[in-house]
Amino acid sequence: MFGKAVSYELIWDFAVSETVEQSQRWILSAMQRHGQELVTMLWRVLGNEQDVCDAYQNTFLQLAHYEAQQKPEHIKAYIFRTANNVAISMLRRRIAEKKKLSAAVVAGKGVSSPTSELDSEYLQETLRCCIAQLPEHLRNVITLRDMAELSYEQIGRILGITPATARVYRCKAVQLLAVWMNKEKETKP
Amino acid sequence: MKTINTNNRTSFCKTSRSSGPNRCRQIRTRLYEAVSNRLGLNANWVRNHIANCPRCRRRLASVGKVNLALSALKSQPHKLDLLMRANTQAIGVLKHSLRREPRAEKLRAILPEPKLLERCGKYSHTAANVAACIVILLLMKIGVFSSVDKFRDQSQRAARQYYANHVGEDLADEIFTI
Repeated sequence: MFGKAVSYELIWDFAVSETVEQSQRWILSAMQRHGQELVTMLWRVLGNEQDVCDAYQNTFLQLAHYEAQQKPEHIKAYIFRTANNVAISMLRRRIAEKKKLSAAVVAGKGVSSPTSELDSEYLQETLRCCIAQLPEHLRNVITLRDMAELSYEQIGRILGITPATARVYRCKAVQLLAVWMNKEKETKP
Repeated sequence: MKTINTNNRTSFCKTSRSSGPNRCRQIRTRLYEAVSNRLGLNANWVRNHIANCPRCRRRLASVGKVNLALSALKSQPHKLDLLMRANTQAIGVLKHSLRREPRAEKLRAILPEPKLLERCGKYSHTAANVAACIVILLLMKIGVFSSVDKFRDQSQRAARQYYANHVGEDLADEIFTI
């Protein structure tokens, strides 16, 4: 009797694990379908290959543990929003660490000269810093539009807003970024 | 009064529906063009204002700077194997069963592929050349055949005229009607 119960239990465990395996295959499908776009977006947001790999891993780990390993209704939306949030958190952490560790070095760089202002690296870093400070709704739109190169219709579907609203948000984000980038320039000696 | 308004609106809707979505699209495009011509950054009065207003000039320059930085971000390439490495790292934290999947193996060795439009983009010149050649051939064919027909008709008419002058109308009709 006991032996029979054990064997039933084993069969049950095997069946459960099989179904979980079956149900989790969509993670690989999602990786295959959206991986390239996601890596491109993360690379543009973070600009560091190891950070990209970490953020990518974190995104799919969160996807695998989404509400008792259930498949989200809109996978693309979930992946992109999660990746965006993960990347921005990493970026903010990096900026804070940089500020803490090398405040003197950054100040010593003397960004006021026209050559450094036109320096692409400096421009990119400044833009990243400013993007990390944007309000969430504006930041989401600018990263999805300019970093992931999605259309306004796709952005609307991902964020649950209309394409026209996404356009307005992008316009506002650019205006805000312009003001902040200008301020940053003025505050630096 | 209200009924008249509703009727008017209904009739307008009917006409707009009958004209079709193409008409609406055309109107939208024209409106957009007209508005952007009058109100866009390239409009003369805007340019004149920007040239004379330091504040607007400064604002425009800062927006340009943001766009420049965004372009710089986009143009920065990453290593070809980044997708492969990211996939490998991400698959490494998934379940054992998923890691052993054949699809996982494929993902570990995947390389970025250009989009369909980008892939087709390099053939656009070839396609345009082939299309141009086909059009030229068609034109040549149509032109040559129509010229041959024309030439045959004219020569037949000339020959008939010759026979009519020398052997008479009846005989010429008999020869050329067969």
